Amino acid sequence: MKPYRAELMVCAGTGCVSNGAFQVKDALENEIKERGLENEVRVVTTGCNGFCGVGPLLVVHPDGIFYQLLTTKDIPYLVEEHFLKGRPVQRLMYTPPEDKLPVPKMSEIEFFKHQMLIALRNRGIIDPENIEEYIARDGYTGLAKALNGMTPEEIIQTVKDSKLRGRGGAGFQTGVKWELTRKAKEKTKYIVCNADEGDPGAYMDRSILESDPHSILEGMIIGARAIGAQQGFIYIRHEYPLAMKRLLIAIDQAKEYGLLGDNIFDTGFSFDIQVHRGAGAFVCGEETALLSALEGQRGEPRPRPPYPVEHGLSGYPTNINNVETWANIPVIISRGAKWYAEIGTENSKGTKVFSLVGKINNTGLVEVPMGIKLRDIIYGIGGGIPDGKKFKAVQTGGPSGGCIPDSLIDLPIDYESLKEAGSMMGSGGMVVMDEDTCMVDVARYFLTFTCDESCGKCSPCRDGTKYLLDILTRITEGKGNMEDLDLLEGLSKVVKETALCGLGQTAPNPILTTMKYFRDEYESHIKDKKCPAKVCRQLNIYTIDEERCVTEGHGCGVCMRECPEKAITGEKKKAHKINQEICVKCGACYDVCRFGAVIVE
Amino acid sequence: MINITLNGKKLSVEEGMTILQVAQQERIDIPTLCYHPLLEPYAACRMCVVEVKGDSKSELKTSCNTKVQEGMVIETDSERTLNARRLNIELLMARAPAAKVIQEMAAQMGIEKTPFPIENPEAKCILCGMCVRVCEDVVGAHVLTFEERGFERKVTTAFNMPSEKCIECGACAYFCPTEAIRVEDFRGREVLHSELTLGPTTAIRIPFMQSTPNVPFIDKDNCIHFKTDKCKLCEMVCEPEAINHDVEDTFKEIEVGSAVLATGYELLDCSNMPQYGYGRLDNVITSLEFEHLCHASGPTGGKILLKDGREPKGVAILHCIGSRDENYMKYCSRVCCMYAMKMAHLVHEKVDAEVYEFYIDIRAFGKGYEEFYNRMQKEGTHFIRGKAAEVTNAALIPEEENKLIVRAEDTTVNMIRRIPVDLVILCPAIVARKDSEKIMKLFGLCSTPDGFFKEQHPKLGPVSTDADGIFLAGACQGPKDIPDTVAQGAGAAGAVMSLGDEVAIEPIFSAIDEEICVGCKICIGVCPYDAISYVEDKKISSIEETLCKGCGACVAACPSGAADQNCFTNSQIEAEVSGALF
Ligand SMILES: Cc1cc2nc3c(=O)[nH]c(=O)nc-3n(C[C@H](O)[C@H](O)[C@H](O)COP(=O)(O)OP(=O)(O)OC[C@H]3O[C@@H](n4cnc5c(N)ncnc54)[C@H](O)[C@@H]3O)c2cc1C
Ligand SMILES: Cc1cc2nc3c(=O)[nH]c(=O)nc-3n(C[C@H](O)[C@H](O)[C@H](O)COP(=O)(O)O)c2cc1C
Ligand code: SF4
Ligand code: SF4
Ligand code: FES
Repeated sequence: MKPYRAELMVCAGTGCVSNGAFQVKDALENEIKERGLENEVRVVTTGCNGFCGVGPLLVVHPDGIFYQLLTTKDIPYLVEEHFLKGRPVQRLMYTPPEDKLPVPKMSEIEFFKHQMLIALRNRGIIDPENIEEYIARDGYTGLAKALNGMTPEEIIQTVKDSKLRGRGGAGFQTGVKWELTRKAKEKTKYIVCNADEGDPGAYMDRSILESDPHSILEGMIIGARAIGAQQGFIYIRHEYPLAMKRLLIAIDQAKEYGLLGDNIFDTGFSFDIQVHRGAGAFVCGEETALLSALEGQRGEPRPRPPYPVEHGLSGYPTNINNVETWANIPVIISRGAKWYAEIGTENSKGTKVFSLVGKINNTGLVEVPMGIKLRDIIYGIGGGIPDGKKFKAVQTGGPSGGCIPDSLIDLPIDYESLKEAGSMMGSGGMVVMDEDTCMVDVARYFLTFTCDESCGKCSPCRDGTKYLLDILTRITEGKGNMEDLDLLEGLSKVVKETALCGLGQTAPNPILTTMKYFRDEYESHIKDKKCPAKVCRQLNIYTIDEERCVTEGHGCGVCMRECPEKAITGEKKKAHKINQEICVKCGACYDVCRFGAVIVE
Repeated sequence: MINITLNGKKLSVEEGMTILQVAQQERIDIPTLCYHPLLEPYAACRMCVVEVKGDSKSELKTSCNTKVQEGMVIETDSERTLNARRLNIELLMARAPAAKVIQEMAAQMGIEKTPFPIENPEAKCILCGMCVRVCEDVVGAHVLTFEERGFERKVTTAFNMPSEKCIECGACAYFCPTEAIRVEDFRGREVLHSELTLGPTTAIRIPFMQSTPNVPFIDKDNCIHFKTDKCKLCEMVCEPEAINHDVEDTFKEIEVGSAVLATGYELLDCSNMPQYGYGRLDNVITSLEFEHLCHASGPTGGKILLKDGREPKGVAILHCIGSRDENYMKYCSRVCCMYAMKMAHLVHEKVDAEVYEFYIDIRAFGKGYEEFYNRMQKEGTHFIRGKAAEVTNAALIPEEENKLIVRAEDTTVNMIRRIPVDLVILCPAIVARKDSEKIMKLFGLCSTPDGFFKEQHPKLGPVSTDADGIFLAGACQGPKDIPDTVAQGAGAAGAVMSLGDEVAIEPIFSAIDEEICVGCKICIGVCPYDAISYVEDKKISSIEETLCKGCGACVAACPSGAADQNCFTNSQIEAEVSGALF
């Protein structure tokens, strides 16, 4: 490859692309050509950089300068200043909230500083559509080592020693699962990469697929060798067309290089991978439902046992791992189990990718060592809560996880601690909530999702989640009573205990944790008919501060126009009034009043 | 073997068994709704949960799909299990309030009401998937499927349309634990769930109780396997592995010297007599159907029940339906009067009902028959002299509501009577079988004007026929009861035995002169005894002497004069004629 003076790594992850990354890239290339710099400066599109909240973004190599929130308009100035005149543009750099001075280098930005990249090792650094770049970053050395110097048993032992646990949610020991599949009687064996990623708000799997597809292929080939599988499948969500495209390119390239297909590395070992596009339902991410879907049947969970390791795809032993799990494998093999096992806590080794979203300054994907304190994520990487609001809770593990209150801010993030706190690791979603969040409403929100996604096969989940949601809705509308709390708790426990698959077994978690940590909020909804966070509109009383209305808003009358029930009366320049008898508490007036004259109680 | 502890009892059980199987073996009751021993575990109803105790934690597991493991400690009735089952049944009570199994299960757990809202009080389906699975996995018809997900899930067919793939086997309804599936018979009448298990329509069955050999056979017309290539449930349950679907019917040819025909009779088809409502009104049945109903191997195990399962309070038996009737059969069917009284007796014996016999006159001519008639009168059977004119369900007075009304002219008092009853039994005429023409052709027989086989002579040859070595026994020769049938049968057997090794043939028979015959085949068409065949290599017709009755039909028909009759040759006849004339 030709050496360039500077390489501009433009993030082409889905987040940045939807904000115009490709237009920025085109503008960059045009400008560079125009200035005659095309032999010195090169633009590279990379997979997701992780700091999605500030995209489109680019990182300049080799100096590591980070530019954010780019528009095409910024490009001529940027190219001229930085790449022609050598003066980095401060205006386009990241400035931490509360700080005046920008941080030029990516490695010094709080968001990146605390991260440790293993699964995301190549993010933003390589062109995902070019196998050479992957190989240049030690790609496929793990495979070479596994195929040439290790027996299948040794590979499995290494993975076992690394204590890697499944990143798909349940946290089952990957090495143990591999061993079980290898030991299963049938000769025909399959491995599957679960890329169905259905948790709303989680996108680490997509990010890996988009930014580093070869890491998954390499992991799978190593896994196939260890397990004795002849065929692999990648079950990918149909909403991920970019990831799908890059995977297919990667597979073609790997085949061209003899890394996939017949007689890999001349070792006599053959293995092929097929990509299967998923049909969409959340529950299809559950392993047995995924297998049903792969077989062309209705994507519905099946009873376990038998587990897929003994009776999987078409009845053959099948090992299913999550995208992130597979992505860890090559590094574990090439750098050794000992190295990996030194990262993390006693029972949770290595790193985990989280998607940090919600009421937090820095949103994006972060990869951190297991055991990191919740505080370090929220206040360190995340840069705290915006607008000086108070941190209230964080929801981990997606819709079926639980809420961890601020009192547990020093909780180490690992499988066990999260479970003990009533939540779970799940796929690594982290939704941060501030003081304006109503916890009953949060529980209701997540239950709406799970209830909607329940496949309906088993009755506790199908009917139980529906009634749980009914009760929650009742409470948020001020129609609940104290017996509802007992019913809510009792039913939640039974659904959790008796549902057939992980969806139902975890669906009540948001209820149970919010009831555990925020019971007072439930009680005030029921007893005082008040929503402390003023989120549940049916419990609010909307009135107009007449003085403000006149002095600030001059009786503008916008509220009157917006009110769908015509509950507001008044004239221009005069105070407006809400007729409480007619008001249906939709909150439209509150949303439109620019003068803060509508008061919620 | 695996060692486990079940409800505190140490057991050693076979590897591979599920907890449920072990519990059933130990006679421990675990409620199940979606489990069926012939289907793969589905584990959707979650009623069969049991507590499996571990060292640190105990878990609820569904017993229908969880296999026993070494050292397992299982509690089937712990408070935790009962609590989980209770809430789950409450959920199902809200979903399927009309399902009897659910009501019963709830009652057993002492639950009267569900705390959850009931949307449809008529709903029965609990989404156990039994129907879908049996249609898919066993029958292989792929008709039923689920639609929508979560709370809205339901069982349906593709596009919610009647499916052409349905083979109408009824397996879905049979497996459905909640009677949520309605099956109609070909007349559009609902088949009761309790009837679905009944004899005659199952594809594997013993033809009838006294059949020889007394073993089941597979009815290929009804067997699912021959329609979809799947099922074979019978093979799964037959321990001696005696079932083989691949056996083909074989045809054997047996050479015999003589034959006894005992092909019996049929009943007149009553659906062509609209006045009696057969096929249109519920609970109008034929005498033969009543015999089946009363029989211990019948659909109700011998109980006399109406279609909705009630016992009848009034029964009418209608004699001479199509017998002694200018419009149908002119003759008397001989057996109806007596069997009708036998039926009256059976009704009295089995249910508390009034029985009405509508007759023209009672023909009790056999030995002890008149005495039986007298006994029936004493038993309280109402004998109404008058042929029933009509059966209707149109009530005129309140007492007739929801009843079948038999209208007849009572000739003893000369008035029209309307008798409301619950069950009407028709005694249709005994008629010759539809295929009797074919049989006659085959054996060279003729029939009497009533359609029954003609005997050689009403008095002198009542068991033999015009065909040598062919004898008659039973109702194929004319209506008769069992004693007469048996007697005639014995006579026929005797006649066969007396033939010895030789069959005496007619001394007069025809022959064809090979030299003259041109092979026109005209004679073959005219021979009533099928005695002439065509000899392919010689291209001529030839007569089998043992079959020929010497009737001379061929001689008269032969255009070339090749056929001739011994003792009656043309030259002999000519000589006789000229002798007589000159
Ligand atoms: C409702 C009812 C009740 C009766 N109750 C009495 C009673 O109580 N007592 C009494 O004495 N009589 C009773 N009878 C009369 C009785 O049924 C007959 O007397 C008797 O059945 C006559 O016997 P069968 O052998 O001649 O004919 P069937 O019983 O009709 O037997 C004929 C058999 O030949 C078979 N067959 C027909 N064609 C062929 C063929 N081509 N090849 C091979 N097999 C063939 C048929 O399948 C049948 O099995 C009753 C009749 C009816 C309708
Ligand atoms: C409702 C539900 C949805 C799931 N969705 C996913 C998913 O989208 N991606 C995933 O990798 N695992 C998902 N899982 C977890 C899988 O069942 C399975 O445990 C995982 O793929 C195993 O891989 P691992 O051992 O590498 O974690 C889901 C589980 C449940 C119960
Ligand atoms: S728990 Fe929910 S999603 Fe899972 S099988 Fe039951 S109904 Fe389906
Ligand atoms: S119709 Fe019957 S068998 Fe089918 S799912 Fe409903 S309850 Fe089960
Ligand atoms: S019988 Fe086991 S879950 Fe239904």
